[in-house]
Amino acid sequence: MIPSIILAAAEEGGSEEKNNFLVPNATFLFELVSFAIILFVLWKWILPPINNAMTERQNKIKAQFEEAEKLKAEAQAAEAENQSQLAEARAEASRIREEAREQGAQIVAQHREQAVVEAERITSAAQAQIEVERAQALAQLKNEVGTIATTLAGRIVGESFDDDERSKRSVDEFIAGLESAPKSEA
Amino acid sequence: MTQSVLVSSDIEIGHHPTFSIGSFTFNSDTVTSTVIAGIIVIALGLMLRRSASAETPGKMQLAWEALVDWVTTEVEANLGKLNPFVIPLAVTLFVFILISNWVEVVPTEHKVPPATADTNLTYALGLVVIIAVQVYAVRERGLGDYAKGFLEPYPVMAPLTILEELIKPFTLALRLFGNIFAGGIMLLIIGLLPAYLTPLPTVPWKLFGMAIGVIQAFIFALLTILYFGMAAQGHGGGHDEAPAKEHEPELQPA
Repeated sequence: MIPSIILAAAEEGGSEEKNNFLVPNATFLFELVSFAIILFVLWKWILPPINNAMTERQNKIKAQFEEAEKLKAEAQAAEAENQSQLAEARAEASRIREEAREQGAQIVAQHREQAVVEAERITSAAQAQIEVERAQALAQLKNEVGTIATTLAGRIVGESFDDDERSKRSVDEFIAGLESAPKSEA
Repeated sequence: MTQSVLVSSDIEIGHHPTFSIGSFTFNSDTVTSTVIAGIIVIALGLMLRRSASAETPGKMQLAWEALVDWVTTEVEANLGKLNPFVIPLAVTLFVFILISNWVEVVPTEHKVPPATADTNLTYALGLVVIIAVQVYAVRERGLGDYAKGFLEPYPVMAPLTILEELIKPFTLALRLFGNIFAGGIMLLIIGLLPAYLTPLPTVPWKLFGMAIGVIQAFIFALLTILYFGMAAQGHGGGHDEAPAKEHEPELQPA
């Protein structure tokens, strides 16, 4: 193995003079032409379709994004509209409810007022009737009590108090005294 | 023992089998691998061209599109606009260099080394790039402004600014060459190991080599775009350079 390396080194040393790898030879021209051909082929025939496909796809994706963006905006607008309509409807409903409540309260109040008035009317009518009846009863009583009292007194005394004029006056005075007595008490 | 002699006798740094047409000498292995890489690149491109669709892109198409997209972004960032020549140039450089680098992975007993391990190819690429850059600079800024650019910031620095432009193709060429060439030498050295041991370091080294291949193709394409960007803005002023140029020093040593 060692001799072979030496051999290789010796060969290398020998060939270095006529073939320095940093100095180009005619291969340089071949490479220049080769690269020119490859560059030309790629530039003219291969890169344009790739770029076209890429641009087309990018545009398509961009269009899709724009479309999606638009749809999203539309959906958001519709959503906002829905929301506002819903809020409006809610407000309307609550307004109607409030109105109904007010109306109900009003009706109740009205009816209550009516009832109170009616009750008052009935009460006052009843009182008036009672008053009339009382007055009638009183008047009737006034007439009858005098007669009964004189009759009773006549029986007790044994003489008749048929002197109407006198007896009636005394009875009336008595009743008047009765009438005035409770009133002053009350 | 016989095999180890064969393998080790192949270690001749920078030696290429040659053939001649008239007084022109060609490196036959480089020519072969260039043709192979070129055919692969063009075949991949044509396959893609046939199946390219806007509806359902295949994996290959997506890879191409990612590359074109990256190059387009870089060109726009550095040149300030899309140039109809710079984009295909950078894409072609990337793909061709990548495929050339990856030829090394195929075990051909060093019959078909990567074409990028030959300075003939890398010089050619560097020359194409730098001529295109200078033409672009003249077109963008006019011949007078282009010539005046070498006198900035101080006329006394003209030799340096001219030298800078002249060195660019060499740095491009030799960086690529050095990286790939070194990978090849490493494989040769691994080949000196006893036959039962060679697969052990070969597989990880080839995987590493593939990564190097991607990085070098990336750097070559990116620096090409950066040189175009610098050409559009003038030399070494430092005050009005594109921010992207600041990445350059980080990438240079790779």
